[in-house]
Amino acid sequence: MKGDRKYIVLFLLPAVAIMTIFLYYPFFKSLYLSFYRTTGFFDKKFVGWANYERLFTDKLLGAATLHTLEIMLYVIVFQVGIALVLAVLVDNISKLKSFYRTVFFFPVVISGTAISLLFVLFYNYNFGLLNNLLAQFDIEKVLWLDDKNALKAVSIPTVWHYVGFYFVLFLTAMSKIPSDYYEAAKLEGISAFKRTTMLTIPLIMSDIKVVITLAITGTLKVFEFVWVITSGQNGTEVLGTYMYKKAMVDQNFGYGSTVAIYMVVFGVLLAVIANRLLKRDEITY
Amino acid sequence: MKRSSMLLLSVMLMLTMFLAACGNNGNNGGTTPAADGEKQNTETPAPDKKDDAAPVSLRVFSTFGGTDAAREAFQSALDEFTAAHPNVKIENDTMSANDDGFRTKVNTDMNSGNEPDLLFYFIGADAEGFVNAGKVVPLNELLDANPDWKNGFIPDALELARQKDGNIYAAPLTGFYEGLFVNKKIFEENGLELPTDWEKLTTAVKTLSKKGIIPLSVPFDQSHYLIEHTILSAAGPESQAKGLIDSIDPNWEKGYAAMKELYDLGAFPKDAATIDLGMAGNYYSEGLAAMILEGSWAVGGWSDETRDNSTVVPFPTVPGGAGSGNDIVGGFGSGFYLSKKTYDDAAKKDAAVELLKHLTSPATIQKIASANGGTPAADVEVTGLPQVALDGFAMAAKANSISSPVDSKVSQETFSNLRASVQPVVEGKKSPTDAIAEAKKVEDANKK
Repeated sequence: MKGDRKYIVLFLLPAVAIMTIFLYYPFFKSLYLSFYRTTGFFDKKFVGWANYERLFTDKLLGAATLHTLEIMLYVIVFQVGIALVLAVLVDNISKLKSFYRTVFFFPVVISGTAISLLFVLFYNYNFGLLNNLLAQFDIEKVLWLDDKNALKAVSIPTVWHYVGFYFVLFLTAMSKIPSDYYEAAKLEGISAFKRTTMLTIPLIMSDIKVVITLAITGTLKVFEFVWVITSGQNGTEVLGTYMYKKAMVDQNFGYGSTVAIYMVVFGVLLAVIANRLLKRDEITY
Repeated sequence: MKRSSMLLLSVMLMLTMFLAACGNNGNNGGTTPAADGEKQNTETPAPDKKDDAAPVSLRVFSTFGGTDAAREAFQSALDEFTAAHPNVKIENDTMSANDDGFRTKVNTDMNSGNEPDLLFYFIGADAEGFVNAGKVVPLNELLDANPDWKNGFIPDALELARQKDGNIYAAPLTGFYEGLFVNKKIFEENGLELPTDWEKLTTAVKTLSKKGIIPLSVPFDQSHYLIEHTILSAAGPESQAKGLIDSIDPNWEKGYAAMKELYDLGAFPKDAATIDLGMAGNYYSEGLAAMILEGSWAVGGWSDETRDNSTVVPFPTVPGGAGSGNDIVGGFGSGFYLSKKTYDDAAKKDAAVELLKHLTSPATIQKIASANGGTPAADVEVTGLPQVALDGFAMAAKANSISSPVDSKVSQETFSNLRASVQPVVEGKKSPTDAIAEAKKVEDANKK
């Protein structure tokens, strides 16, 4: 054991180095920059807590937080929900299982930006696919990306993109359930619907909780769909795009860093709350 | 807690952008630390002309890549140079200027000791950071020492390339102009006159919007050109040049009032709040829109039919505006910088200066101008341009004044704020007075 310790430290070192360079250093650099007023790259001035004062009075940031939370709601309800339904359906068929698995997983592989560009063409007012369809039926064209619809319109590709990922997680969890349970249930004469709600879902509850936590934290990273489809217009600004705008477009890295710190704190808080609410009790088969 | 550490990881990955952006802030004084290391190479016979021609490799960073109209012309100019100087290897590094990432990339490079040997970049406020930090050399002496090169430029073009400190750091290539591009065919078909004054413009807007043609293709978010033109014509060139730093000129808000008037008359596309500049350009190019506010570079991207039918006029004076109705936005907005590090490196200096001279020679300027339709910085005849580009040159030549865009007169953050105000103002949710007052606040906070 004593001799092993040397190697353990040795093998852990590269990971520590990479984490330090790419994670901890930038994080503390952001923390440092959040106390500065910057203009471009060459000019910065210490401003104390001014950026944080601005943070708490920034209405746009509040709106961005609310929009992020709204997308989070859609993601939890629809992304996780649809993934679960699909997984149950696919789990119940005997043929073509791997075919459906591939088909449903496919969107995850496509880059989010490419999907977003696709949806730009769906939603466009003059050329868009949706409005062309409506025109076929003589229905008046709809502004899909105006104040009322924009956030929902952005949520659709966001939800759709990752359904496949959670679907595969659920399917794997279901395949791990021993068949004895089902055999026993069959002998008791259980219906297919009951089997799903009373047996399958309770048995994969811990996986569902993991997926929900993943979905919550994943939503904080939403960026490309909003950026490409609406660039944050019409009430779709989320935390990711707001931070990018402040730092990169406005070249105000100080305030951008402050927003980033806020995102970290907010994200950790959400994750902790989610963990509390979804206390996990491990099931062993 | 595994999940929260994954979150941390993801957020921190995003933060690496800041690392890249802000590293090395400590040592960006006037000196270039890397140059010391390279000076040791000076033992190799450097000034001995190119007879023994030690191999040199140069990195040229520009926007002549991707879909840029002048991409091939620029590459062929580089090829000419390498053919004449076989010892020089050129790395043609490019990035699109349409993207905010371009500024970030250039500033990161300049700030982290990774500066390109020659850099094609904006002149003015955008360059102030690295110019003041001494990352590029003033070209005044070089120009004076090479009268052939200097005389190749139009004197005005060099004047416009001066930074605030009075030095010329960038050698200009082609300039640009912006204006109100008009599809003449649509105007004729509807019996309309060219929108040379506000009255004619509003008449055209009313007639066209009734017919279901988009009068003026403008996006609200990327409303750069709309803001540039309305503010210039409302404030006049002098007040526009002062920006917002000292005080608010009450004329500025008339620009926003004019936008609202146009909106109320139905001037903008129905989906103006949801499209970007690319899509707005698309509407014009496809003949769905009769007018667009754009710059000279956009001409090459339109469909042949639209291009042949287009002409360009200065944006008319808005009601009560101080502009003359013949003031245009334009200038020599960018040029080639020579980095200090390269200049101090005896092994590279001569080749880099030669390349700079070649890239800004009248012959190259003519080539680039023919490709992208910009106004040449040298006194050369540009042939093969569409009529609308010639109209543009004529407009620029006859203009009472040529101002650089208002984006370069206020800070980036202020301009973002002005952009964000367009939609609320035209929809009547914010008054023009408030819009300008808000921008002023942002400007003040920025200059603290």
